[in-house]
Order: sequence, then structure tokens, then C-alpha cells
Amino acid sequence: MATAILQFFKTFMLWELLVGLKLTGRHLFRRKITVQFPEENTPISPRFRGLHALRRYPNGEERCIACKLCEAVCPALAITIESALREDGTRRTTRYDIDLFKCIYCGFCEEACPVDSIVETHIQHYHFESRGEQIMTKEKLLAIGDKYEAEIAAARAADAPYR
Amino acid sequence: MAGNPTQRKSDVLNAHVRAEIDDWLSRYPQDQRQSAVLGALRAVQHEHGHLTTELMDAVADYIGMPEIAVYEVASFYSMFELEPVGRHTISVCTNVSCMLRGADQILAHLEQRLGIRLGETTPDGRFFLKREEECLAACCGAPMMQVDHVYYEHLTPEKVDEILDSLE
Amino acid sequence: MSEDLVNIEVDGIPLKAKKGTMLIRVTDEAGIRIPRFCYHDKLSVAANCRMCLVEVEKAPKPMPACATPVAEGMRVWTRSPKALAAQKATMEFLLINHPLDCPVCDQGGECELQDVSMGYGEGISRYSEAKRAVKDKDIGPLIATEMTRCIHCTRCVRFGEEIAGLRELGATGRGEFMEIGTFVEKSVTSELSGNVIDLCPVGALTAKPSRFTYRAWELVQHASVAPHDGVGSNIHLHTYNGRVMRVVPRHNEAVNETWISDRDRFSYTGLGAADRLTAPMIREGDQWVTTDWETALTRVVEGLRGQPAEACGALLSPQASVEELYLAQQWLRGLGVRNLDHRLRQSDFSDQDRAPLFPYLGDALEALEQTRACLLVGSEIRKDQPLAGHRLRKAALGGARVMAINPRQVPFNFPVAETVSADPRGMVLALAGVARAALERAGRTAPEGFKALLQAARTDETVRAMAQALAEGEGARVLLGVQAHAHPHFALLRALAGLVCETTGATLGYLPDGGNGAGAWLAGAVAHRGPAGESLDAAGQTPDQWLQPGLKGCLLLNVEPDMDCEDPARVMKALGSAAFVAALTPFAGEALKRVAHVLLPVATFAETSGTYVNVEGRWQSVAGAAQPPGETRPAWKVLRVLGNMSGLEGFEYLSSEEVRDALKDRLRAAGVEGFDTVYRHDGASLAVPEASRGLQRIGAVGPYGVDSLVRRAAPLQATQDAGAHALARIHPRQARSLGLEEGDQVEVRQEGLSARLPLALDEAIPEGCLWLPVGVAATRHLGRSHGAVELNKV
Repeated sequence: MATAILQFFKTFMLWELLVGLKLTGRHLFRRKITVQFPEENTPISPRFRGLHALRRYPNGEERCIACKLCEAVCPALAITIESALREDGTRRTTRYDIDLFKCIYCGFCEEACPVDSIVETHIQHYHFESRGEQIMTKEKLLAIGDKYEAEIAAARAADAPYR
Repeated sequence: MAGNPTQRKSDVLNAHVRAEIDDWLSRYPQDQRQSAVLGALRAVQHEHGHLTTELMDAVADYIGMPEIAVYEVASFYSMFELEPVGRHTISVCTNVSCMLRGADQILAHLEQRLGIRLGETTPDGRFFLKREEECLAACCGAPMMQVDHVYYEHLTPEKVDEILDSLE
Repeated sequence: MSEDLVNIEVDGIPLKAKKGTMLIRVTDEAGIRIPRFCYHDKLSVAANCRMCLVEVEKAPKPMPACATPVAEGMRVWTRSPKALAAQKATMEFLLINHPLDCPVCDQGGECELQDVSMGYGEGISRYSEAKRAVKDKDIGPLIATEMTRCIHCTRCVRFGEEIAGLRELGATGRGEFMEIGTFVEKSVTSELSGNVIDLCPVGALTAKPSRFTYRAWELVQHASVAPHDGVGSNIHLHTYNGRVMRVVPRHNEAVNETWISDRDRFSYTGLGAADRLTAPMIREGDQWVTTDWETALTRVVEGLRGQPAEACGALLSPQASVEELYLAQQWLRGLGVRNLDHRLRQSDFSDQDRAPLFPYLGDALEALEQTRACLLVGSEIRKDQPLAGHRLRKAALGGARVMAINPRQVPFNFPVAETVSADPRGMVLALAGVARAALERAGRTAPEGFKALLQAARTDETVRAMAQALAEGEGARVLLGVQAHAHPHFALLRALAGLVCETTGATLGYLPDGGNGAGAWLAGAVAHRGPAGESLDAAGQTPDQWLQPGLKGCLLLNVEPDMDCEDPARVMKALGSAAFVAALTPFAGEALKRVAHVLLPVATFAETSGTYVNVEGRWQSVAGAAQPPGETRPAWKVLRVLGNMSGLEGFEYLSSEEVRDALKDRLRAAGVEGFDTVYRHDGASLAVPEASRGLQRIGAVGPYGVDSLVRRAAPLQATQDAGAHALARIHPRQARSLGLEEGDQVEVRQEGLSARLPLALDEAIPEGCLWLPVGVAATRHLGRSHGAVELNKV
């Protein structure tokens, strides 16, 4: 009987609205967590798998030794490598292409690399303006590596204790 | 294939060495000529001081075995010198018995006295301190050293000096 | 037999094996895998890697399975705790000094050490001291070394001693300082040297030409056959993206066992030569223009149709497949062209009607091992057919008497009983001497036509000993080699060899050049016989007759006229005067561009299907493996279309198999059952060769000059063998009398032509002779490979 009376009053006193406004009112005074993209970014893990890069050693020598393990492990067959003997007698790539349309950003290439050459950086915003641009060539990958080396190295260092 | 009938690689061996190798060859069966290679190399080294590639080729040609087989033997045994060395070869035993009886001091004395280290030859070409020598089977006379096939036992630094002075 | 068998038990499985067999061989046959590095089926047992240690009942310590003979009641455990502990300990020792450079190692992915360490190695090394490093050796243009990776299994050393017969690699130093190498800086020169690449269980010895260009797992394997010699070695072509990346042997105990020659292994490097033809080309005036197939083929059909058929001819390569040869002769004979031949280097055709239907070895290749006496006539078998040479070597090491009558004293890698080296006339007289001695032994008289020649024959101890060996030796044989085929008195050699065989009971065998040198006879690629040896209405002329000025039209099938033919000067002149020359060729060589009017790009052996009949009569069909470049088409398809366009019947083949089967049907229809090489001398009349005056030219094609592909294989051309072959050679005494010295640049004059090349003094050359290489750039402007020459210092 009492429930029925309560129900009767709730029908015209907008009770649910008040309950909802209570939640709104509570959050009105809390700290805001909305991220103002694109002005702001969410924080990302050092393990984040974004755009690829090829790294160099501090002396400027490219790390990649054309072992083709990344090519072999790539589940999406996104990597194409051709190798040859360089004049100084070392094994080097003559072609290193990653097709970003095929890539599924699984990070296996990074894991397979014995010399930490191919890495996935934290870069997540990029676009292509014409056909064919999705093929990341060796030059492009090395350029990314050169530009972001400090951040790549910092990310590796941050993750090192957990490996 | 190429070559001159009048020139053979074994021509560099002199009559004395040839006689000695022939003597070694006579001790083994006809079809086991390579058995004589150790004796032959020793004879050649005695004559020429050390073994050059040319001399090893000569031995190979004379005995009739592949050149590489002679290189294998010569590089295996530490008695064969493949580089020029001094007139007198000094080998100090540093194995257990000699070590316990002070071989290290003998060696240190030698090095200091000759001004060279193990494996080196004195600038005047007189002495060669052999790189490494294991037990020479004279433990009863430890510490000992061998100079040109002669054993000197119960060594002391003074005795070493005496021995060195007596050598040309 | 049964009493020889013993019962053993391995891992609880009862096995029967012949007493004294090594345990590892028994387990291998039973499919029980024991890890190993130094053991190899074809090499002697060294037992120095210790990886195959197994537990044997009652043995106090684990025993190496490769050096433990089986005995009655033996009980073995290959994976017991004791065996595994021993194997793991060995693995740990092997890995102490082995570098962790698998990612840059060409062996990575197909490495025996890598594989075995997955099973027996520890994840983490306990060894923290410095690893040893070994200086690399330069052992030539074919084999790359990385000696730090060496685990001292000595397979390569044993290979050199036991198989190649040339002890070049050795283990110098001892203990920690032991190194595999040549000790002195030198190249490994064996014609089988490439096999150490396959033998090496680690990446210490790898292939230099293909270094760092592929990974083992991305290659696609295609079975094929090498066409460079009559053995027809079975090979695997490994391709990547349609390109041949390397060639490895395909095991076939009856043909090449597990070996292949360096020529078969590295010839693929010529596939991508700079002058590779990728589209049909026609000559417009002095210009070469690229065109389409339609135009080019029409030009060929019209070009040949416009010439009188009897003044036309065709040169067909003995490297071509039987399908190509069969279709070529079908088409040409359909057009009425009868002058066609594959015997490019032959100069004496006088007895061609006496040639057997199928001039082959006369026996299986394996039978060469069983021979007790063998006379080689004009054969440098070791370089010409390296794996036939290997069979003969096995026979010789087993005590067979191998003898040779050759233009020069060739170095053999096995003991040789008797040798004669002489000028062409001397060779004939020496072989006549053998025949005469054999007849005397048998108490027979010479056939009428032979008498004069046998009267003039050489009589000395050597030829008598040869005759005796052939008469007494079981399974004796006389082999006519590549140089015999090119000999100016080939007919005399054949007749005499035939007589020797008839008298002594030996078998006559032919070892012609080219992968199909014997098979081409079956395909009808000779002037006087059709396919399956069918007789022709009218025989064609032989190349020496029709390759003359006045030639009107000519077809070249994979032939470079200045390199592949006897008397290149005459051939080039004849072709140069012809109104129309068409060439089916993979390469647009400079000489072809000079004489041809149409160049049609055709596929090489690696790029098309085809069949090769080797010297023992084995038909080996292969499929194409690599992608032919550009517009290149298989030659059999081109010939088929040419047949269609010429309006001829019977060119409806859809596959090379159909062509092959058509030829086989012809053979069946002709009633050809088996083949023999018996020489029938009835009515033969042999003239004594005239004594020659002046310095005589002798010489032959070198191992790396045999065909257009091999000549373009840069790594092979960089070998010592190729370098040594490019010299003029003369006996030192002769040189002294001419005032010449080693290394002099000399000018050779022959019938108004001249060539310049460096001179080498070589006591292997008979006096009175000058050895000039054939099939090299330096001598391609000269004439006949025999005859008088003059020699002057430049």
C-alpha cells in the first residue's frame, strides 16, 4: 500500500530527474577527466605500437643487418626485404619496405629483431595523401628513426625492467 | 701443371739434409713415406734454423705428400719453429714440479737478464725464449730448462747466468 | 649373407644389421635420429665432433655412434639420461667458441649446428670468457669463409682428400689454435670445390656469389638437371621472386651421388648477364631495333623462305634440350633445310655413317666404378665431365689401371698407369700402337684397311702395357673424350678404338661435350640421320662443308658462332656473307649482333621445361624454375610457332612433354630397343696421317668456356682454372729454342690470322706443339683448332 502511495507521488514530482541531477551535480564539482583532443593526448605506454622506424647506432651506422627475421615473423606479410653484400663486407638491406595497409601493428617485428633495429614508435597520427605513400621505404623509416631516436631510446629504457 | 722439368720444389734441400731424410725414409715401409715427415722436418729445421713455407714445400715434394699435410704437422708440434728465432732456444719448464720448485723465478730472471719476454728473441739474435713449455720429464731435477736439446737441472739464478755466459 | 647379420637393439627396437656396420648407419636406416656433425655418409669416419655419443650396454663410457661397429646382442640407448648428458655436454663445448651471429650468417635457417642446438643446447651459456676469433681466409671466388664459426668437423678436409683428390684444406695448429685453412694464401682449385659449402655443417664455408642475398627459408626449390656436361647432374634450383639464387645438388646415387661440379653450381650466375636478351630484335640497316614477337617471327619465316634451302644451314647447341633439337630439325627439314648439326666442335666427319645410332658411354655411369682398366682418348675427364671423372677416380683408387692418350699430360687426381701425350698425329699412332699390340697379344691379324696404319704405329712399352691392361682388365673400356671428338683425325681414333675394343673385349664409350651431346643424335640433330637414327632421303652436308662463303641462310640455336664452333674465323666469315641469319639465343653477344639479322630471346635451362639425355642414356625431364626475363620465350615454343607459321604439319604440341613423347614414339616406331657402341670396321680403310711441319696448334675448350651461360658466369671466370686456361702453353724447351719466357705476350699467326695472348711454359705440352685455348675471347678470331701456327714475341 505504502509503495503504491510513494509511486503515486513520484509520478508528478519528477523524482527520477532529481536523482539524475544529483549525479550531474556531484560531477559538477569534481576534477574534469575529458581529454581535449587534438590539443591534448592521452598518455601512452612505452610499449605503444605506432608507426615503424629503423634505428641507427650512435656512430650513425644503421642497425639493420638484413637477417629477415621480421619479414619471416610478420603475420600480415607486410614487410619486404632484399639484401646484398655491402662494399665493406657487411650484410645490409638494399630494400626494406613496410606496407602500412597490410600491417596490423602486432609488434612481432620488434620482438624478432636481434639488433633492435625495427621498432614501433609512439607516433599514432599520420596520414597519406596519395597512393603508394603507405609503403614505408628504408629511407623513410630511417628518417623517422633519426628524428625520434631520443624518444625511442627513452621508451626502450622505460620498458627494459619488465623484459 | 706448369713448371720447368729442371726445377723442383725440393731443390732447396742440400745433400746433407737429403741424406738424413733418406735415412728416415729407409726406416718405414715404401708405402708409408709420410711417416718420415717428422724426422725430415727436424733435419731441415736443424739445418736452416726454422721452417719457411718454401722449406716445408720442399719436404712435401721430396717425400711426396700434399703440402698442406706438411703444414699441419709443422704447425701442430711446438718443436717446429715457423718464424725466424735466435741461435739458442731456451725452454723453461713451468709445469707443476718445476713450478713448486721455483720455475717462475727462473723464468723471471731469464726475462730480466735477456731483456725479452716469452716468445721473443734477443735483439742480437743469440737467445730465443720459447713461448710455452710443458713438462719435459725431468721432474727429479726441478726446476729445469732445456737449451738446444741439452737439459740443465736444479737451476738457480746464478746457475742460469753461468749457462748463458757459456753460450755463444 | 644371413650369417653376416647381427641382432641389435636400439632404444628398445630390435634391428638387424650387417656385422661391422657403423651404428649410426644402422640407426639412420631405421629412422632413429642421432645428432652428428662430422659424420657424413660419403666420407671416412673421423669421430672428432663427439656429438653422436650414445649409451651402449656394458661400455663404461658413451660411445660415438659413427665409429662403433655393431655386434651381436648389442643394446644401445640414444636418448637415455647418460647419452643425453653426453650429447648436451658436447653441444655446450661446441657452442663455447661458436659466435652468436646467426642473423648475419648465410647458413642461418639451414644450419646443422642451429638445428641440433635447438634440441641439445642450453638457453643460456655458462661460458663467460673470451671467445676465440679466427682470421678469415681468401680461398677463391667461389667459397666465402668465416672461420670463427668453424667447429673443426674436418668434413671439408676429408672431402678434399677423399672425393676431390686434391688435398688443399687442412687443420693447422693445435688445440685452441687449430684452424681450418690452406695455411698459405691460395685458392682452392678443385673442380668440385663447391661441395664443401653443402658439407659444412655451420656457416664457416658458404657460397660467395650468392653471399647475403637470401635466407634459406624464403627460397623455393625446383628439381632440375644441369646441362653443361654429359653427366646431367641432378640439381635443385633455388629461386626467390622467380630468380635463381643458388644451385645445390639433388641426390641421385646413379648419376651424381650427392655432388655437383662447380660449373653446375655456379653457372646460374650468368643468367642475369648484362647482354641478356629480353625482347626480340631485328636489324634495320646497321641498327638493332627492339620489336614484338609477331614481327620477328614473320621476319624469320620469310627470311629463310627467301633463300634456297640447299644453301641454308643450322647450328644447334648440344646444350639444347631434346625437345628443342627435335622441333628444330622437324621445322628445318620441313622447310627443306638439310644442313643442320649439333657437332659444332667436330672437324672430321669422314666416318659419320659408322657412328652408332646413339654414341654414348656404352654403359651406366655407375659401371665406371667397376672398370678395372680404362683408356681415355682425348679426354680431360676430370674437367670435362667432373662427376664421371669422380667415378673413374673411385675405380682407380680401387686398383683399376686408368690410362690416357691425350694431347697434353693432364694432371689426374688419382694414380694413372700409363699416359701418352702427343700431337694429333702422335695420338693416332699411339692408339694404333695399342691396337697393334692388342692384335699381337690375341694372335690375330689386322683387318685389311688397318694394315698400313698399324705398320706405322708406335711400338713401345707404354702402348704394349696399355693393350695388356685392356685385355686383362675386367670391364675394360676405351673412352673417346671431348678432345677426341674435336680431333682432326676423329675417324681414325674411332676406328682404332673400335679395333682395340673388338680385340680386347673392352667397351667403347663416347663422352661428347654438352648436356645433350649424345641425346642430340636421337633427336636427329645431325646432318645424315633423322630422329631415332632414321635414314634420310638425302643427307645434309656437314658443317665444314656448308659453313663456307656462299651460305645463304642460317639458323643458330643457342650458339655463339665465334666461341662454340670449330674454326670460328671460317664460321664468322660464312655467316657474315649469308643473306639471312636468325638466332634463337638467351644472350645478345657481340658476335651474334655482328652476323645475325634477327635475335629471338629464348629461355635458358633454368627457365623452361625440357629433357636431357645423359651419356648413359638416361632421359631426365625437368620443369622450368625461374621467370624468364622480359619477352623471353622457351625455345621449343618458338620453334613450334615457327613450324605453324611455315604452314607445316605436326606442330600442334601444347607441352614439352608432348614433344618428348613424340620423339619417343619415333624411337619405338623405328624399333630401337637397346643401344650399343660396337664399331663395325668392314670396309674401313685408314690412311696414315701425314707428318706435320712446324709448330702444331693443339688445344681444347676449357671447363668454364663450354657454353654461353658458363662463359657469362663471372665467379667461374674469376677462378684459377679459367685464368690458367686463357694462356698459350708451350713446352719450356721449345720456348727456350724460340727465345720465349714465361709470361711473355706472344702473337700467334695462323693462316693469315693472328691473336695475342700471354704465354705459359708447361712441360705437359708435347714438344712441337702450342696449346691454345678454345672458347675464349683471345683466340676467337683464329681458325682451325689444329694445324701449323707461328709464334712471335710481341
